[in-house]
Amino acid sequence: MVFADLFFIYVFLPLCLICYGLAKKLSTKNIVLIVFSLIFYAWGEPLWILLLLFSSFFNWFIGILIGKFRDTPRAKLAVGGGILVDILLLLIFKYSAFIVENLNAVSGAAIPVPQITLPIGISFYTFQAISYILDCYWETVDVQPKYHKFLLYLSLFPQLIAGPIVRYSVVEQEIDNRSVNATDLCEGALRVILGLAKKVIIANNLWSIVNTFFGKDITGLSVLGTWYTIIVYSLYVYFDFSGYSDIAIGLGRMFGFHFDENFRHPFACTTIAEFWQRWHISLGSFFRDYLLYVPFFGKPRKYFGLFLVWFCTGLWHGAAWNFILWGLYYGCFMLFEQKMGKKRMKKWPIVWKHVYTKLVIILGFGIFYFENLGQLGQFFLNITGISMIANSAPFTDPMTFSSLRNNIFLILFAILVSLPVLPKIKSYFLESKNDTVYAIGRVGSVAVCMVLLAVVSVLLVDTTNNVFLYFRF
Amino acid sequence: MDTREIFERLDRVFQDVFDDDTIHVTPKTTADDIEDWDSLEHITLISAVEREFRMKFKMGEISSMKNVGEMASIIAARAKG
Repeated sequence: MVFADLFFIYVFLPLCLICYGLAKKLSTKNIVLIVFSLIFYAWGEPLWILLLLFSSFFNWFIGILIGKFRDTPRAKLAVGGGILVDILLLLIFKYSAFIVENLNAVSGAAIPVPQITLPIGISFYTFQAISYILDCYWETVDVQPKYHKFLLYLSLFPQLIAGPIVRYSVVEQEIDNRSVNATDLCEGALRVILGLAKKVIIANNLWSIVNTFFGKDITGLSVLGTWYTIIVYSLYVYFDFSGYSDIAIGLGRMFGFHFDENFRHPFACTTIAEFWQRWHISLGSFFRDYLLYVPFFGKPRKYFGLFLVWFCTGLWHGAAWNFILWGLYYGCFMLFEQKMGKKRMKKWPIVWKHVYTKLVIILGFGIFYFENLGQLGQFFLNITGISMIANSAPFTDPMTFSSLRNNIFLILFAILVSLPVLPKIKSYFLESKNDTVYAIGRVGSVAVCMVLLAVVSVLLVDTTNNVFLYFRF
Repeated sequence: MDTREIFERLDRVFQDVFDDDTIHVTPKTTADDIEDWDSLEHITLISAVEREFRMKFKMGEISSMKNVGEMASIIAARAKG
């Protein structure tokens, strides 16, 4: 099931909230959430739900073993075995086709390529499970003795399919002790509507632009057309994924959970390191804590760790070379900034810092988009103007201008919202000491969200496919 | 080893790692207070602190220390000299 769907918004969610509200004890509320989460998952993945159940049971059991054999070599064996199986499952279900294709290409063998459809959310819940068993082993969380409570953590539908990658420590206390008041419900609902609006009103429309230009062979696409489309695509990825995270965080809040933020206006960054402190924060912090800081050959290795992290970040996004390239591309810029030093970079003029970061990010999204390496090469030929010089593509074309003319307000609005403008407006009203201003802010935000919900609902009547981009990761 | 001594020695380690003699850490100092303290420099810092106090941080501690105060408490409990 997806969030941007009328059935979810008007049937599934209200029904879940009613059952949750009717349940008196927290333990019953937890059961309600587990049942609804499993239905939510099974809706689209009736078969792979078994994999989710297996993964949750297996990792819970590994946790129990770690607790039982604490401070003995067996605990190390348990955590090692746990991680091995988790990674193996990922390799089988996500990367087997990629591995076999490359093996065939290198060796000339003809091993049949496995046709496995990716179980939705496997990259997210597997990482959550790995974080849990490592945290148990490092004693930063207590082992969860009850399976259903661990299942609740792993399968909680707001964050099950596309993150954020919630740490067990974030919800550990709230599984057993949480409450929902009117403010939680209201704030959570407003956040959900905001996320839906980001997805349905902005991201979906940006996607149709991208599809018009990049949906076919891009040979011959003009220089300006390529720049225009990749900028729109960068905005699209942000709105699609941060919209999803908003919905996840909002839904969590409606059930009394407080997930960490996953995005903090990444395009406002002035260094690439800062971009990644603001973009998909839960993934970056996962790799930092569970890979970068892990000792290799006796101690953590700074530069080896850096490239390992970026290789894995790329690979995590998909089983294709362009994703690995995309990760390593960021690794290089991280190394560059590390060698340059923050103090020296701070002296750069602010305009230059924004030009540098936005260029790196936008070109990076080019690598991210084109899984076909031939098309990726063509993208760089187009965007740098080499195609134009070779007379195989024009500088501009009428289609780009007409698309820009038709969508200029959408794009400008998207750029504005991607920068930290809304929080400033919100804090102006909601932190005001003037009662009238505060009241206008409260009523206004509810009114705006009601209008947004109405628009989202109308738009959803006509659309059938609202799958979020990050579902395939 | 008393807290004052730990902080004096931590000051020297921090000044050395971040190449800045003006740094003085307090229990409340976090990575946000020191410009160059990012996840990569954290690795350098941890090894330098471990060398200075002849001790080892546990894996979970490296990522979960909230501020220099927590770092100092671990050092106080585990340092050998």
